[in-house]
Amino acid sequence: MIYIGAEEIISPLGETAAKNFSAMAENRTGISLIPNAGFNKISVHLSKILSLPQESQFENLTASMLISVSGKIDKNVLSSAKTILIISSTKGELKDNMTDPFGQSVASLMARFELVNQPIVISNACVSGVLAINAARNFIAARLYEHAIVIGCDLISDFVVYGFQSLFAMSDEPCIPFDANRKGISLGEGCGAVVISNTVSIFKESPLKLLQGTSANDANHISGPSRTGEGLYRSVKKTMEINQISDNEIDFISAHGTGTIYNDEMESIAFDRLSLTDVPLNSFKGYFGHTLGAAGVIETAASIQMIRKEILVKSLGFSETGTSKVLNVITENKKAKLHTILKTASGFGGGNASLIIQKL
Amino acid sequence: MSFITSYCHLNNENCSVNGEIIAERDRESEDSWFKQLYKSQEFVYPKFYKMDTLSQSGYLLSEMIKRAQPSLITSYNDDEIAMLFANQFSSADSDLRFEKSYKEQGTPSPALFVYTLPNIVLGEIAILNKWYGENMFAVLPKFAPDFFVNYIDILMSAGTKAVLCGWLGITGEQVNVFVFLVEKEGLAGNEFNTGNLAQIAGPGLL
Repeated sequence: MIYIGAEEIISPLGETAAKNFSAMAENRTGISLIPNAGFNKISVHLSKILSLPQESQFENLTASMLISVSGKIDKNVLSSAKTILIISSTKGELKDNMTDPFGQSVASLMARFELVNQPIVISNACVSGVLAINAARNFIAARLYEHAIVIGCDLISDFVVYGFQSLFAMSDEPCIPFDANRKGISLGEGCGAVVISNTVSIFKESPLKLLQGTSANDANHISGPSRTGEGLYRSVKKTMEINQISDNEIDFISAHGTGTIYNDEMESIAFDRLSLTDVPLNSFKGYFGHTLGAAGVIETAASIQMIRKEILVKSLGFSETGTSKVLNVITENKKAKLHTILKTASGFGGGNASLIIQKL
Repeated sequence: MSFITSYCHLNNENCSVNGEIIAERDRESEDSWFKQLYKSQEFVYPKFYKMDTLSQSGYLLSEMIKRAQPSLITSYNDDEIAMLFANQFSSADSDLRFEKSYKEQGTPSPALFVYTLPNIVLGEIAILNKWYGENMFAVLPKFAPDFFVNYIDILMSAGTKAVLCGWLGITGEQVNVFVFLVEKEGLAGNEFNTGNLAQIAGPGLL
């Protein structure tokens, strides 16, 4: 069996998973109007960590995260020869070093924490986080490593804000995924982490079970979602089939739910084709914004917290169905014992990825 | 067991398929080196002109692999072909060009922004070939045969039957691109292992 746990989140809502979960349980958002942050000095809604240092933000955040995570597991794991660090990110330390966004930060993490194995950066747009967790599990299942620390981290920069503005993809209000009045994304920044291992005893708090996940390309468009949800459909179908999980076993879906018209519509079509429209579902983007390469890890960590605390957290901002297929979007927090949950992600480049976590 | 069934190298001066040089750069030409290749190979895919250099290189070499090893397009279901690409500097060249659009040219260019992710090349190849398989783009400090051997074994044990792989080293004027195909059936001597992969990759990459 392969375990997942030691989840952590650093976001505008707090610097631990527990603080983030408390904020989510109170339905607080990290998104606020940031003056002059957009192109031509327009104000934009972002989920921005206001206390970050000016320089080396990526290295500082990932290092803080490694310290937090190592406090939640056996102290020998981090520097073990049987441990791999996998980092999911789209832009790394772009603000300081556009020509080499990962090289320096990763090298200094390696030296500072005495990591034995060369860390792997997975940079697959918005599916990076789910893909990184799946890759970690695959490495352990293949017995190449015994433990993997997966850290997802992305920062807000003029670069990404101006880019999404140029695509007219940014909402002028906090994002409201799956809602009829949704207008686009709110960008976010943050860092998430999970530890994956074949050894239950390394975790200080009881872990959960991570099943084998999969990915599939849409083969449709580099920046637009498939109209039929083909890639997402295929990835979820494969993940359910290889694990012999049926649709009625899934207790909760942590969807990608960016808040753009086409993405959320695509997801509704894919979930309809998978007979998953009755399953309680949310998007965490209303709390964290879209944290790009970090999203899959932050949202998996948040989902694990929901399983532990036995609360289905509502999909913040949603009030009226806005997709052609009606999904069971969670509108109020409620107590629920969750056993099996599905996490999905979709992104630029046609990527789609999915994973399943079960309570032990 | 699996086999390296075809491979292409592309550097600043020439392009080779399975070790045979098929094109050499004309320094006098008005066309970019990648455009020279596109024309000389008589490829027809107008979208090529919209792509960034990372995607252009992936497109060109994947088309050459398909010519050298037609089994890639005839022997597999659309979800049995995976792609595993990597490089050192992510999409740095496109990132610099997009930054220039808003810092020097007055407005952020959406056409440049959509290429500021290294995995877009995987999307371009998937779209062209209608491949729905597993995809991953990794950023590593240097070409690492172990990484490819380990991860391709993992993909192959989970239903993938062919993996198109690439190291897309493109920075400024420096071009060092290596694309190779791994399949379950192949010729003795070309077994897919770190030794053979390192040898085929050549000294320019290691």
